[in-house]
Amino acid sequence: MRRTIPQSVLLYVTVILTCALLLFPIYWMFVTAISPSAQLRAFPPQIFPDAPQWQIFQQILETRPMLLWLSNSALAATAAVLLSMSVSVFAAYSLSRFRVRGGQTLGLFILVSKMLPATLLVIPLFAIFREFRLIGSLWSIILAHSTLIVPFSTWMLKGYFDSIPRELEQAAMVDGCSQLGALFKVILPVATPGLAATALYGFVLSWSDFIYARTFLTVEQTKWTANMGIASLKGEFITDWNEIMAASLMAAIPIVIVYMVLERYLVGGLTAGAEK
Amino acid sequence: MAEMRLEGVRKVYGGAVVALDDFSLDVADGEFVVFVGPSGCGKSTALKIIAGLEPATSGRVWIGDRDVTEFAPARRDIAMVFQNYALYPHLSVRSNIAFGLRMRHQPRVEIDRRVQEVARILDIESLLDRRPRALSGGQRQRVALGRAIVREPQAFLMDEPLSNLDAKLRVHMRAEIGALHQRIGVTTIYVTHDQTEAMTMANRIVLMRNGVVQQVADPDTMFEQPANAFVAGFVGSPAMNFFQSRLTKGPDRPVIEFGDATLPVQLAPDIFARYAEQDVLVGLRPEHMSIGNGTHSTVVRPNLVESLGSERYVYFPVPTANTVGHATFVSQDEDRRANTMIARLMNVGRIEEGAPLPLSFEPDRIHLFDPASEQAIN
Repeated sequence: MRRTIPQSVLLYVTVILTCALLLFPIYWMFVTAISPSAQLRAFPPQIFPDAPQWQIFQQILETRPMLLWLSNSALAATAAVLLSMSVSVFAAYSLSRFRVRGGQTLGLFILVSKMLPATLLVIPLFAIFREFRLIGSLWSIILAHSTLIVPFSTWMLKGYFDSIPRELEQAAMVDGCSQLGALFKVILPVATPGLAATALYGFVLSWSDFIYARTFLTVEQTKWTANMGIASLKGEFITDWNEIMAASLMAAIPIVIVYMVLERYLVGGLTAGAEK
Repeated sequence: MAEMRLEGVRKVYGGAVVALDDFSLDVADGEFVVFVGPSGCGKSTALKIIAGLEPATSGRVWIGDRDVTEFAPARRDIAMVFQNYALYPHLSVRSNIAFGLRMRHQPRVEIDRRVQEVARILDIESLLDRRPRALSGGQRQRVALGRAIVREPQAFLMDEPLSNLDAKLRVHMRAEIGALHQRIGVTTIYVTHDQTEAMTMANRIVLMRNGVVQQVADPDTMFEQPANAFVAGFVGSPAMNFFQSRLTKGPDRPVIEFGDATLPVQLAPDIFARYAEQDVLVGLRPEHMSIGNGTHSTVVRPNLVESLGSERYVYFPVPTANTVGHATFVSQDEDRRANTMIARLMNVGRIEEGAPLPLSFEPDRIHLFDPASEQAIN
């Protein structure tokens, strides 16, 4: 169906406005980062600084252990995703394929645990981690983030496994695989888009956490995550917003990289051709 | 290749739903057996139990001289073709076909040789490096067949493999599967709901209904000597006509009435003694009627005439005295043709709807069934 001219105009205006709305905060972070401190409080604000301060990024890296914080965040997020995925793949596959007594209730129980807010869990988790002497260790947030990621990823993967025809693994089993072999050799490769989307969600969830990191990693600055480090840049009397924005931009880059790496797996339709 | 045996196999779901009841069957080495029946009759369940994909509630399954009842599918040495093909979408055609051989740790050279050979047999050599999504329905079907035959298993199990193809391709692939079976001679169990497929492909047909085997016979026997009214109605297209008539003594033989025609029937004296002066269910195939007056004929008024070029299907109402009152299968019959009959007339001219049409019958082709049990009595 051909669009009329008013429909096209409306479509483009909507798309442009939506993009502007989404991208302007990122642009403003960038402008704030490279603007001199004096210009930040100028009114009306400048859409682009007269003298961009490109050295702000180098300055952050030299004066703060930003790379260490970023690597802590990356380590925690990667480990939390790996741990969560290795649990949820089996949980989701079992919920999807096996009919056992109480299986549905168990599935709902997992879903309910996802509904609990992080602020509710932080105190009991703190008590547990203190018992196990994990406070101050990256393991504390790896485990804590997993408690958030596992319920979601289990349900997301269950939905994905449900959409894969059972005949695929039955064919693999007739061809010589065990049920576990069929999972690894056929179902998981076919479920790659679902695995990638779930992993990406888990990574972003862990990367953007502040509450758990702020509660469990207070001891040493070298164990901080990027978000904690950025929060520490806000002073009691003076706040260098350009430093905070520059650090925030640096913290956003890994997410973009992870997305770009996983993007090719995110496209659906990999099962096309399996059936009629 | 191997013979196969099922002994009293029973499958009950949830302790209440009987999907398969006391299923016993011997399949000879190299035989092509077709399980046929309407949806939900248990034919696919039986196949999955043979494959090991469903556990039987009770009974034993033998493949060759091995009792495989407790074996996982991988240990049964069978290959299966699924209704939706179940090709591995992340693998090329070559890898799909080679998958089973790789799982059995065959040498790479041997795998390559056998994949090439199968690809040549099925004429899919040019497709080996494509992914399944780049194939047409017929090509996918061939790859699925290739994946099955490359392993040279003891038996093939096929679960409605042609039902996703269009009518023309289905006929073509039906012939190809038949030819393939002739060529490699592997014991095959084929599941379908299409009686035409069953009749054209099978050495023997197992006709099922509600989890119970109705008859096991070769196609001709099943067509000519159906065990009961359900079998008679299921096999043949258009389906057999049924009407009801009182069985009485005639001058030479027992007779039934159809409208104003009196039709002599073949019946053993002891059977006649049991059913004399009682209503019986009568079956008459559409092709066993012809146009014109004969020794045994009546006049009908068609209410619908369908022309298929060389043949015409003439629909006319069953005379009031012959309408079926209490036979259960009629109301369950999928085409719900109760009390309408079809005559399949070959090479006839134009037939007017509503105009009188003389039809003659072949009394020797009449089937009689017990109206309560629906079992054949002649």
